[in-house]
Formats: sequence, C-alpha cells, structure tokens
Amino acid sequence: MGRYAFYPGCAAKGASKELYESTVAVAEKLGIELVELPQFSCCGAGVLEEVKEAVDLAVNARNLAYAEKEGLDIVTVCSTCLLVLRKTKYLLDNDEDLKREVNEILSEAGLEYRGTVDVKHFHWVLLEEFGEEGLREKVVRPLSNLKVYPYYGCHTVRPQSVLGFEPSENPQSLEKIIRALGAEPVSGERRLECCGFHAFWPAPKMSMKLTGLNLLDAKKSGASCITTPCPLCHMNLDANQSRALKEVRESFKMPVLHVPQLVGLALGIEPKKLGLHRNIVPVNC
Amino acid sequence: MEKREVLFRIKRFNPKKDEKPYYREYRLTVPKGMTVLEALQQIKDTQDPTLAFRAFCRSAICGSCAVKVNGFPKLACKTQVFNELDKFGTDTLTLEPLDNMEVIRDLIVDWDRPLKRMEEMKPYLVPDPEVVPRTLDEESRVYPNELKKFDSFTDCILCTSCFSSCTATQLDENYGGPFQLARVYRFAVDPRDALKAERSKIGYAFDMWNCVRCNRCADVCPKHVSPVDGIMKLRGLSIEVGLKDNPGARHVMAFYKSLLESGMLNEVLLPLRTKGIKGVLENLPVGIKMILKGKAHSPVMKPIAEHETLIKVMKAAMEVE
Repeated sequence: MGRYAFYPGCAAKGASKELYESTVAVAEKLGIELVELPQFSCCGAGVLEEVKEAVDLAVNARNLAYAEKEGLDIVTVCSTCLLVLRKTKYLLDNDEDLKREVNEILSEAGLEYRGTVDVKHFHWVLLEEFGEEGLREKVVRPLSNLKVYPYYGCHTVRPQSVLGFEPSENPQSLEKIIRALGAEPVSGERRLECCGFHAFWPAPKMSMKLTGLNLLDAKKSGASCITTPCPLCHMNLDANQSRALKEVRESFKMPVLHVPQLVGLALGIEPKKLGLHRNIVPVNC
Repeated sequence: MEKREVLFRIKRFNPKKDEKPYYREYRLTVPKGMTVLEALQQIKDTQDPTLAFRAFCRSAICGSCAVKVNGFPKLACKTQVFNELDKFGTDTLTLEPLDNMEVIRDLIVDWDRPLKRMEEMKPYLVPDPEVVPRTLDEESRVYPNELKKFDSFTDCILCTSCFSSCTATQLDENYGGPFQLARVYRFAVDPRDALKAERSKIGYAFDMWNCVRCNRCADVCPKHVSPVDGIMKLRGLSIEVGLKDNPGARHVMAFYKSLLESGMLNEVLLPLRTKGIKGVLENLPVGIKMILKGKAHSPVMKPIAEHETLIKVMKAAMEVE
C-alpha cells in the first residue's frame, strides 16, 4: 500500500475532528500509511488569493515543497484544500516564469518548489489503490439496503482542467465507493450543485438556501443519508442543517457522513473511532 | 465510418402559442465527428423545419450557439455528439436552452439581461491621459508582463454559458454575473485604464462577494476563461482601495492573520473577526452544539512546525510587484 504526506486541512484539525479520526482509522485498517507533516500550514482556502495572488501561491508552494522533501504525494480530505493545492501546482508547472518568481520567494526561507509530487483526495486514493472490486473485498459489514446520496459539491470536480480525476459533468467515484460498500447510490439531481459554504459570511441566506435545496433533493430521492468528500460542505449540510432547512421551509433530519465515516462502517470499524458521535445530526442510518 | 442511432430530446417552447415547454424526440443516424450543431441543422432540414436555434460562425468564435447538452452549457458547433454520449454512457442527448435567461423560442434565449448588466458595469477602456497618447501618431504600449494579467479575460466571446450556469446569478438578482465581473477586472488591471483598481467598487456594488466559488464558470467556458479567478482578484483590489469593513474583506484578513499567528485557521475566532459580535450571536446556537460535540479547538493555537518559514514566505510575497 502507498505512503502519503497527509494534509488534513484546518477543518479536519478543528471543527470536523470526526473527519480526521475516521480518515486515520480507515487508512490504518486498509494499510495506507499517512504521514502528517507538522510543517504543513493552512492553504488559505482560496481567500489568500484575495490578499494577493503571490501570497496564495507562495504559501501553497511552501506546503508542496515540504512534501517534496519527503518524496511523498500529498493526500488531503478537504475538497477546497485539494483545489487550492492542485491549482498552485497547475499554475507553477505550466509557467516557468511564475515558478521562478515563486521560488525566489521560497528561497527566503531556504525552500524550493520543483513540481515532483502530486496532490490527491483520500477517496481518489481508495479507488486508485483498491478499485471498486478490491474495496468490496475489504468490506466486512456490507451496508445493504442503505440508500446513499453521493454529494460531490464543487472542489473535487471543478474546474476539470485543474482537478482532472474524473469528468466534471458526470463523476462516478462516489457512486463506485458507495456500491463497493454494499449500499445503493441514489441519483441526485443536485449532487454537483454548490452548498454555498464559501459565501456563508457575506451572504448567509443564499448559502443556507443552497444547502437547504441540496438537503431537500436528498430527501426527495429517497436517500437515508448523504455522504460527501468535503468537510466544508459537511459543515453546511450537517452543522447548519436546521438553519438551512428553514430557508426552504422544511424540517427533517438527514444524516450526513464524511466519506471515510461511511467506508469505516462497512470495514467494521467501531462508530466511536469514526467520530460518528460528533456529527450534529444523529447518524442512525 | 462509425455511425450511431441517437435519440435527441429537444426542449421546445414557443411562448406565443405554447402554454408551457415540452420535449420532442427526434431520431438521427449520427456519423463519428458530427457536432451537435450539425445534428440540429439536419433535424431542422429533414424532420422539423419549425425547430429554432441560433448559429452563425460554426467556428467557436461568435458565441451564438450555446445550448445545454445533457444539462451542461456547450457551444453546439464545438461539441461532438459521440463525445457527449460516451461521457454519459447513453444513446440519448437532451438539448435545452441555457438557464438564467428568458426563452424566446426553443433553444434561443434572450441575452438582454446579461448584456444590459454588463453595460451597467463600464465594460470599456477609459483612457488614462498620462499613459495613452492623445494622437494616433504614438503607440500606447502594453508590455507582455502587463498583458499576462488580463490576456485570458479578453478571450470571452459573450456566449453566456457561464452566466447560465452561475450559482449566485440564480439566487441573487443584483449579482453582476461571471463574465461581466471578469470584464471589470480585465479593465481594472489594464495599464492604459484611468479607473484601474477603483473599478473594483463597481464589482462591490454588484455583489461580487456573493460569488460562491463553485467554479462552474471556469468549467463551462468554451474559451478556457476562468471568470471566478478574475472575481477573486477583483475582490483583492477592492481591499486595496479601502473597502475593508465588510464580511468578505474581513474574512480574508482573518485568514491572513491566522496564518501569521499560527499557520492554521483560527476557526473559533472566525465569526468575531469576520462579522463582529453579530457574527458571534448569529452562529451561537451552532457554536454551542459544536462545543458540546467536542468540535472546537482552543482559541489560542500552537504554531505549526517551522512557522518562521511561513512568515518569511508571506512577507516576501507581500513585497513582490
């Protein structure tokens, strides 16, 4: 199994602690070695680009440079971190002048970006390492009769030029994982719609309405729960669920699981190790 | 040559006589390489002369033939039928008019709303008299490193694909729109422009902070423009010209501060730093639930390892041109 530089991101280190716990538990069970580099900083979630593009690029080239020192590809569990890190890599690898300028900045700290490591999402790695069939073989507690809404959100698929793991218009990675676990993926009309998280502060009503519409679609599709690869989508869908549903004049409870939580259940890992008790909407699916 | 039998489900609507839109199905034998536009033309020529769609240059340059193909906006002239069938693993293509605009007929939408919105946002160069010569005898030079800042945004062909798929446009009447805001940025960094960064105030007035960064605009653009990148940089310019006391700008500075302090985002202080006491009160119920579930870190955060390299890098980056 592979060895990776683990980049949990701020959410998994803080408000989405259960994502960190479940990722570590699943990786351990499957023999994937995650090495968390203590030098990794926050990626700036894209908002650093609004301070100044050079700051955004330099901060993330620094993160990539530390992974390069270890010779390890980065694995993250946050979709926005994934996009921000991959975008930095994409821009620097395709523009020698820009790479030189950023390296001049990094040299102030004795670092260099070369472009030798890749950045992947944890659920991509599950499929790369095992495939749908291989993952199915690892399942000890199939999630039979469970209908799961595969909620991608935005930053694992768009823009395809930067992400590129699967077609942004018809991704299937979550469906494959859900099927491998013995559950049934429902066809969600809003599986690729935005949850509004990144406009939460300037436009909370709009953000909550988008999340409300997504939750409503999950309900209508007959799903017993939602799974998502993004802790930020998760925060809107789970922690802010009752507020979001108010925006669409609804009230129900829809459990929302991080992908590693869902995988962990099927692998027979005990719920406490997956941090399921930390989800705001109780998980009883 | 490889051929396939394809079912085209086309959304039809003539507001003058139809009560509501409906789908009509057409079967067509499609050879490999045929574009959606060629298929539409063949259906019109051989099966249904009443079918209405827009097309002009057939070379992905005029931007008139954008339609939704299986739910995603595409230039019909640039999109091959087989590629779309393969992507969705189907023999059916659903063709619909673009979203976020009124339908004039069938696949033709009314561009008035997005274009009027753009007109309201000064989408033209206001010559800077110190830079642009008064007569044509002298050239107005733009150097490659200056052009690089806005070059890609000049590739926009006004096909409205991004506008039709924009999340913020769907929900916010006042939102400027992706290609429109990207155009504001395009002039804001043009060295010949007199208004320059002040243009970001136009973006501010048109709710640029409400962009949800869903990246749909970047994904659907047939000319590989990434409007969202322009919008984010325009936000940055607005902070530079002093529009700092709003949740968007304060949120940005909260991140910046967190990185300098510890290297990681201080989530606990984020509501206060972004929206003040109001931010704390609005999010108190959720905050309490999260604390009870053990999801909150201490407001005082330990710095990451080698934090000093992060500080050096951030300071050096702030100083470069």
